[in-house]
Amino acid sequence: MADSVDKTETGTAFEELPDAPPRRRLRLSWSGRLGVCVVAFWMAIVFIGPSISPYHEADILDEALFIVPGSDNPYPETDYQPPSSVAWLGTDYLGRDTLSRTLYGARTTIGISLASTLLAYLVGVTLGIAAAVGGTVMDSALSRFNDAILSIPSIMLALVVIAAIGSTIPILIMLTGLIYASTVFRIARSLGLDVKVSDFVEAARVRGEGLWWIVAREILPNVAMPMATDFGLRFVYVILFISSLSFLGLGVQPPQSDWGSMVRESLSGLPYGSVAPLVPALAIATLTIAINLIVDDVSAHAGGRLAKRMI
Amino acid sequence: MKDILKFQQMVRDGVMGRRDFLAALGALGVTGAAATGFLHSSSALAATPRKGGTVRYANNLHGPDDQMDPIVFTSGIDYTRGRATYNGLVQMRDNMMLAPELAEEWSANSNATEYTFKIRKGVEFHDGSPLTADDVVWSMNRHLGEDSPSVAKALFQSVQEWKKVDGQTVKAILKTPDSDLPAKLTEKQAKIAKMDTEDFKKGNGTGPFVLESFEAGVRSTHVRNPNYWRDGANFEALEITAITDPLARANALIAGDVELINQVDSKSIPRVEEADGVRVISTPTSAYTGICILKNTAPGENDDFVKGMQYIQDRERIVRSILKGHGTVGNDHPVGPAFGPDHCADLAQRTFDPDKAKFHLEKSGITSAELHVAPVRLGIVEICLLMQANLKKIGFDLRIKKVPTDGYWGAVWMKEPMNVVSWNMRPTANAQMAIQFAPGAAWNDTFWNNERMGELLTAQLAETDPAKRHGMLCEMQTLIHNGSGMVIPCHVNEVDGASNKIQGIPSVPFGSLGAYEWIEFAWMDA
Amino acid sequence: MTLLNAILRRTGLGVVTLFVVSVLIFIGTSILPGDVANIILGQMATPESLAALRAKLGLDEPAHVRYFIWLSDLLTGDLGFSKAGAGAGTIGTPISEMLMPRLVNTLRLATAVAVVAVPFAVTVGLLAAMYPGTKLDRAVTFTTLGLISVPEFLVATLLVLVVAVQLGWLPATAYISGQETGMKLVRALAMPALTLIIVASSQIMRMTRATVLNVMSSPYIEMAILKGVPRKRIILRHALFNAIGPIANVIALNLAYLVSGVVIVETVFAYPGLAKLMIDAVQTRDLPLVQACAMIFCATYIVLIFIADMVSILSNPRLRHPR
Repeated sequence: MADSVDKTETGTAFEELPDAPPRRRLRLSWSGRLGVCVVAFWMAIVFIGPSISPYHEADILDEALFIVPGSDNPYPETDYQPPSSVAWLGTDYLGRDTLSRTLYGARTTIGISLASTLLAYLVGVTLGIAAAVGGTVMDSALSRFNDAILSIPSIMLALVVIAAIGSTIPILIMLTGLIYASTVFRIARSLGLDVKVSDFVEAARVRGEGLWWIVAREILPNVAMPMATDFGLRFVYVILFISSLSFLGLGVQPPQSDWGSMVRESLSGLPYGSVAPLVPALAIATLTIAINLIVDDVSAHAGGRLAKRMI
Repeated sequence: MKDILKFQQMVRDGVMGRRDFLAALGALGVTGAAATGFLHSSSALAATPRKGGTVRYANNLHGPDDQMDPIVFTSGIDYTRGRATYNGLVQMRDNMMLAPELAEEWSANSNATEYTFKIRKGVEFHDGSPLTADDVVWSMNRHLGEDSPSVAKALFQSVQEWKKVDGQTVKAILKTPDSDLPAKLTEKQAKIAKMDTEDFKKGNGTGPFVLESFEAGVRSTHVRNPNYWRDGANFEALEITAITDPLARANALIAGDVELINQVDSKSIPRVEEADGVRVISTPTSAYTGICILKNTAPGENDDFVKGMQYIQDRERIVRSILKGHGTVGNDHPVGPAFGPDHCADLAQRTFDPDKAKFHLEKSGITSAELHVAPVRLGIVEICLLMQANLKKIGFDLRIKKVPTDGYWGAVWMKEPMNVVSWNMRPTANAQMAIQFAPGAAWNDTFWNNERMGELLTAQLAETDPAKRHGMLCEMQTLIHNGSGMVIPCHVNEVDGASNKIQGIPSVPFGSLGAYEWIEFAWMDA
Repeated sequence: MTLLNAILRRTGLGVVTLFVVSVLIFIGTSILPGDVANIILGQMATPESLAALRAKLGLDEPAHVRYFIWLSDLLTGDLGFSKAGAGAGTIGTPISEMLMPRLVNTLRLATAVAVVAVPFAVTVGLLAAMYPGTKLDRAVTFTTLGLISVPEFLVATLLVLVVAVQLGWLPATAYISGQETGMKLVRALAMPALTLIIVASSQIMRMTRATVLNVMSSPYIEMAILKGVPRKRIILRHALFNAIGPIANVIALNLAYLVSGVVIVETVFAYPGLAKLMIDAVQTRDLPLVQACAMIFCATYIVLIFIADMVSILSNPRLRHPR
């Protein structure tokens, strides 16, 4: 794509035709930088997590590890143990190391969520924009089918699919991606419609630009910012959705750990003040907030660019 | 002092005997007249039921498949409603004693092939019609026949037919001798409904409570039956519902939203024990959860593979850590210590032995397997994860495939080579084994067909000499222990929760809260 | 009359969507392992007893026959009978009888949540957009993100432990008998409503903020800024007006979720609503009940989205005359 748009620092483009919004160099605020650091941290964990974790995610710690010196109880409890030198972040409901499971879980959680969200965007934005710019027939057909999928509660859809064909990670990704594609479709289509009738698109149409030129140069950059905000949220919803599946006894296969399921599994430790459900919850929260802080900055400063990279 | 109160409560709940109570007080330094005083104050309380009060009970499961038709009762909530609405012919009371219910008395011929039941007079259904022999014959015959949809069908296989003798007398004609028949009549499905009932949702029974409203999957309400044929229930009304989330169920009990719950999960037990005004009632049973390995296909057809899976069970730790002590170690046969003398105590206990497991697994030449797991009972998923972790240590790769509970019994159980099962306690040791281990039985879920087992099951029912009966039971348990594909690491207690206001809950091990007998016999303190 | 045409067209399309859903659901539930007879008999099923029960329940007809029977009944206003409570007998429960109390409960909860969450979230989102990058904006961003990243069941459980178990202010379960009124009803609804307000507000808040900020960067707003129109006035007069369409959409999706997707909250608080009924119906393979629930959810969704679209069209007249 030719780089022909004016790039003045002040950003007003009034000498030109009414066109795409002004662009500035991406400058992150302090919160955006914090976000980058946190995301970088978790991405690092995705790669090195399993190799630095003290135990394997499936390991149920031996009772012998928890014997208090001087105590005559050879079989101490191993579940919901508070943080100690044996397990730095305590143990979960089954006596597994919370730290190790969180480190292993980063890979599963971030991997599944990222893949599903990207799939949702790929499918949703493509079809959504297609519906917005395409003819009435295409719009109706896509919208009807999408409405049907969207109006069926996602949990129920997942319940049926998983009960019928099982719950492996690729199935989870496909299922979640397609479920969320329907939401993305609606937002993309609605934004696309709004943009399509705006001045700059009309101007481009008057100039005689082709359909794809308008989509690529005018519509996508302008739907990108609200979509980017949605992307950050969507990512979280995918994590939460998979944890809801685990609430219904579906979700990833044990003993694999994913953060949402870890919260669910150890929920019963909450009344005892166990940190086991809180550590993965905190992991989800930090990642979520970090991604959204970056998204905020990116969308505030450079609406168009993210869309081009994403789509 | 708090301990004494707790022990008194246990006496009242029937969990602790008088002798145990005195011994426990002795351990606290309370002896002699003082101890006896405490004992009497606890049993004195037990002797004065109070009438009145509405009790709210929350079960662990419910849904649109809740039933009011006794022959398809499958869940605790059905059994609870069934106990409130209907009566059976025979009743199971504390210490597994049989008591007359709608049958005033019964007798068998000398070789236990024909039973005669005298039906109680003056019993009325809730719609006002009198109970007759026709109702009994109709209700009981619904369990018979190839195409009967009854879930208790297998229990009554020995019965040829039920026959009316006169207005108040019925006969059961048997195909084969069955000395266990009266005990089997205490099963939750063997309830008497009005003849030719089509709409069971109205709940027209003879039971202590009249069904006031019934919404499947939501709740039911029941009011005391004023025309009950005996003294009857103590509560004025019942509200029966379910709270499916275990944590939420325990919270509801602690917060006082409900007075009774079943299935306190092991993680909530300490909270319920510590909270004010509520208590845990734990009753040892022979119900079990375990791993079922099909003997007619790989890998289960290999005996060493099965042995390996049995030796890798860390039974002590399962009971200690997963069940939090509310269970007993299993010995790979279904007759647990809760069966008292019928349990074969002479059979050596199989213990956790990773070396033996490794030896057998290496001998089998199998290095990995897939186990289908659904949360069919609290604790089973954890048991499988512990097994998986222990197998990993000896270099065996067990893959766990978690599947939903719905559809499990149709799509996975008895189909996948390794799956999990949960079996409730049956009224007799023979019935407990026959249902699963009789050659060719419909629910022979390990597909282990042993001829000797079949002979013994039939012979034991016809045998009258107690010593010989016991010897046969023991031999059968040994056969299952050594030969079948069933891995039974533990028998699980019924662990229920109750408000301290609720007293006099009987102790019958065949289901929650005294096998649902609380409905008629418990009462609420003001 | 364009608007009237649009309304008629959309109503027709809604009916088409309903039909698509009913077919999808029917196919979906028939590929599930096990049928209602399997579920009723559970572990105790034998081939003979299954066949007998299937015959009694009318399940031995082929699937497409059952579908058309159901469809023709529906067109005559008969939702049919659930197998609930039928046992081995023949008389089940009329589905309308099962649905009504649940529908009332669900609408009660959804209304309680919407009445609080929508105005609150839109206002806060607007405030954040009015003063982007300020402390207020940051505080709102951090709080909303923090709250939404917590799984629903954790929020619910924490609330129960603190408010019900520790403090004893409210009941731990939102168990409703249908006779509650006034304060009792408010108390029963408070906990699940609070949980859902936290969950639902966040997306509305985030999207409001994003959409308004997006509009703020349009040329005509920049023009207005250059002309020296006060920021507050720009947002309330110009930006908000143009952002109404997308915001209405987000609100509609969230409301639809409140009707059909709150199964976790309904489970944790034992609240007898529609979402749990739907899940139970799937799990017990109660096909007529699944179909009825799906139709309700689909209709709700279509109505809500219809309203959102109308709002979009009305707020952006150019959408009415594309090209």
